[in-house]
Amino acid sequence: MHSSYLIGGIVVAMLATYATRLIPFMLFRNREPSPLIRYIERNMPLMIMVILVFYALKDVTWEVYPYGLAELIGVSVAIALHVSFKNALLSIFTATLTYMILIQNVF
Amino acid sequence: MHFFAIFKLTIPVLMGYIPLGMAFGLLLSKLLIPWYYAFFMSLFIFAGSGQFLALTLFASQATILEIAIATFLLNLRHTFYGLSMISAFKNFSWKKHYLIFGLTDETFALLKTSEIEEQHRERAYLIITFLNQCYWIIGSVLGAVLGNVVPFNYEGIEFSLTALFVVLSIELYKKSRLHQPFFVALIIGLFGMMFFPPQKMLILSLCLAAFVLIVFRRSMEDAQ
Repeated sequence: MHSSYLIGGIVVAMLATYATRLIPFMLFRNREPSPLIRYIERNMPLMIMVILVFYALKDVTWEVYPYGLAELIGVSVAIALHVSFKNALLSIFTATLTYMILIQNVF
Repeated sequence: MHFFAIFKLTIPVLMGYIPLGMAFGLLLSKLLIPWYYAFFMSLFIFAGSGQFLALTLFASQATILEIAIATFLLNLRHTFYGLSMISAFKNFSWKKHYLIFGLTDETFALLKTSEIEEQHRERAYLIITFLNQCYWIIGSVLGAVLGNVVPFNYEGIEFSLTALFVVLSIELYKKSRLHQPFFVALIIGLFGMMFFPPQKMLILSLCLAAFVLIVFRRSMEDAQ
């Protein structure tokens, strides 16, 4: 691949990515966010986070063996530990380890 | 906030970004692109799925305009993250441009859920973003240089990012005044995962969530 093509591609990918992150800050640079924006700001993150969980699971094949069992067990371990002990690192480590053992040795 | 305490917050991202970055670097080396492009892409673009997409487009010799449009559309979801950070970054210095630049899915998740006193917030946010980008760069360069030679079987370690999102969802749920958005998002996420095309699942689900949030604002606020 030609280096000028790669460099051009990287530059536009950089600008396009930065633009998506910058737009809201540009829109509200000089004015106070309205109550509607504040409401979105307060409540959207929770929705984003929940949707990101499903996004992270989007490539799981639920209809064939092992039916996404490793993912379901991993997520359940994370929920159970986090609700009981409220220790983020413990929940994440244990869930990840469980998942790794499951897909490497069981399924 | 002590540096080590901040570092601890980023460990789940470390566990996810190194292997994901390596997968990116590996793909780049398979396309016979020199390894230092992995470094520059992770330094200047810093978007996981965006960089994978760029490689796919490079491989198919897409035009520069196509690369710009496709990357913009793929990363459009970040607009929602920025929208949720406007007040948080408002009083920061010019350095906030690095925070805006570095607002990936995972960085957003950490910043939004971290609890840091106001006077230390800017510094802590900068460190979190910087550390995350370091992990991503290290992973992608390692992958590009080492190729398939990896000392241990780390298959599945990227599940740490899924677990991170699960844990942070619980954290935000506990902090949230309104609880209906959580259940609405569960339904939309499940629906999106099952019925939306995988590449567009995130942006479509987020738009739908924003739409429902705005349209049902009255009933959501009244119900609490």
